[in-house]
Amino acid sequence: MKYFNLTVLLITYSYVFAQPNCEAYKYYGDTLKYKACKKAMEIKGHYQFSKEYQTVLDESIEIDPTFDYAYWAKSIAYLKSGDFVTWKKLIDKAVEYKPKEHLGYRGWCRYQFFRDYKGAIKDIEKLDSLVDYDIGQSQNGTYHLNIAKGLCYKAIGEKEKAIGILEKQIKLNEEEDFVGANDYLHLGVLYLETKKFEKAVETFKKQSENNELAENQYYLALTYLKLDKPIESKSCLEKAKELYLGERKLSDPYSNPMDKIYLEDIENEIKTAYNTGYNSLLNSN
Amino acid sequence: MKKSFLAIILLFSILCSCQTEKKVSEKQEYLRWVGDIEQNDQIDELDFKVCNGDDKVLQYFNLGEGPVYSGEKSKILNTFKSSYKPISDKKENGLIRIRFIVNCEGKAGRFRVLQSDYDYQEKEFDKKIISQLLNITKEIETWEVIRRNEVPVDYYMYMIFKINDGQLTEILP
Repeated sequence: MKYFNLTVLLITYSYVFAQPNCEAYKYYGDTLKYKACKKAMEIKGHYQFSKEYQTVLDESIEIDPTFDYAYWAKSIAYLKSGDFVTWKKLIDKAVEYKPKEHLGYRGWCRYQFFRDYKGAIKDIEKLDSLVDYDIGQSQNGTYHLNIAKGLCYKAIGEKEKAIGILEKQIKLNEEEDFVGANDYLHLGVLYLETKKFEKAVETFKKQSENNELAENQYYLALTYLKLDKPIESKSCLEKAKELYLGERKLSDPYSNPMDKIYLEDIENEIKTAYNTGYNSLLNSN
Repeated sequence: MKKSFLAIILLFSILCSCQTEKKVSEKQEYLRWVGDIEQNDQIDELDFKVCNGDDKVLQYFNLGEGPVYSGEKSKILNTFKSSYKPISDKKENGLIRIRFIVNCEGKAGRFRVLQSDYDYQEKEFDKKIISQLLNITKEIETWEVIRRNEVPVDYYMYMIFKINDGQLTEILP
């Protein structure tokens, strides 16, 4: 089962990270695409943002305006520079010419870079309806696309639906021993937000075993507060601070992940906990 | 003789420059990198200086630290939360990106604005929204200084503001 997942993962990734196989176009008699592909390969050694890289791809598109790879490759620099207008025009072309290969990517980017929750859901669901295989992971490998979809549902207020999606996907991931690095954390937060405190504690504990994070201890502390366990809560906050300062926290090279916290959040909670504890001590005396 | 020689050179250079312009209009013109911002003396502060030259300005993520803010992002969020006055208007929806350069001293300059609706089509927001976001961004005095091999670099940074019915709902990245 593990190998199956790995294979699926590699297939899903191959279109993104590997170069297209130009010879395949030749083999199937598509000489135009073969030429466009060979031209596009000249990007090798050039930075995605550079004039040279972009110009080579323009020339590739001139040879074959239906060559999806060239649009996709061109779009990356616009995505990373936050130019959502140009990015969308380019990636739409890639999706138009090869929807099954680019829909999941576009959906993920809509979420990761622009927090376009509804657009991301639409793309991921469209992909799901087109294929009968596993839709695979997000571009950065952090999430299964279904987890990303669930997080988008949460963001538009459909928390119960999000829980259903996350529970189902995590179960599948567990069966394949391939749980994502932050999956339990996000599910735990959803339980906390929907007042399922016991379930939240249980899920945060799983996250601790899988990949301990400052956020995990922070939300666990909030859950313990709800369960009227101030001592456990305070101890979690201290752990959260230590983890945060040790850089064991949610991070992403391009954005701030969902459920991310800041040092200020932890310190504010510690202050509140201290004041509450102090007051209750005064009251009890 | 000298004069006619100069005249020929002048004529030649004019012809050359016309040809170059023609070429540019036929094909898309790229700067060094996608999204590069050239100094425009008409709109940019003249005292803002890039420390290491325009051709060495990096992107915020080039050094792998992710989006960094001086005093963490929560500080920026609080600044906009307390300073931005929402414009109540059902038509004001979409994304606004403000992109700029942060120099080696953590000062920002060359601000540029990009606006679109939620279908990624360019549009123009109410000027009161844009000017507020721009002014608040410009008033942020210090940005994180990013170093490469201990040496402070200049880098491009951007913020994307999500606007729903004139309200500021999210700031990215």
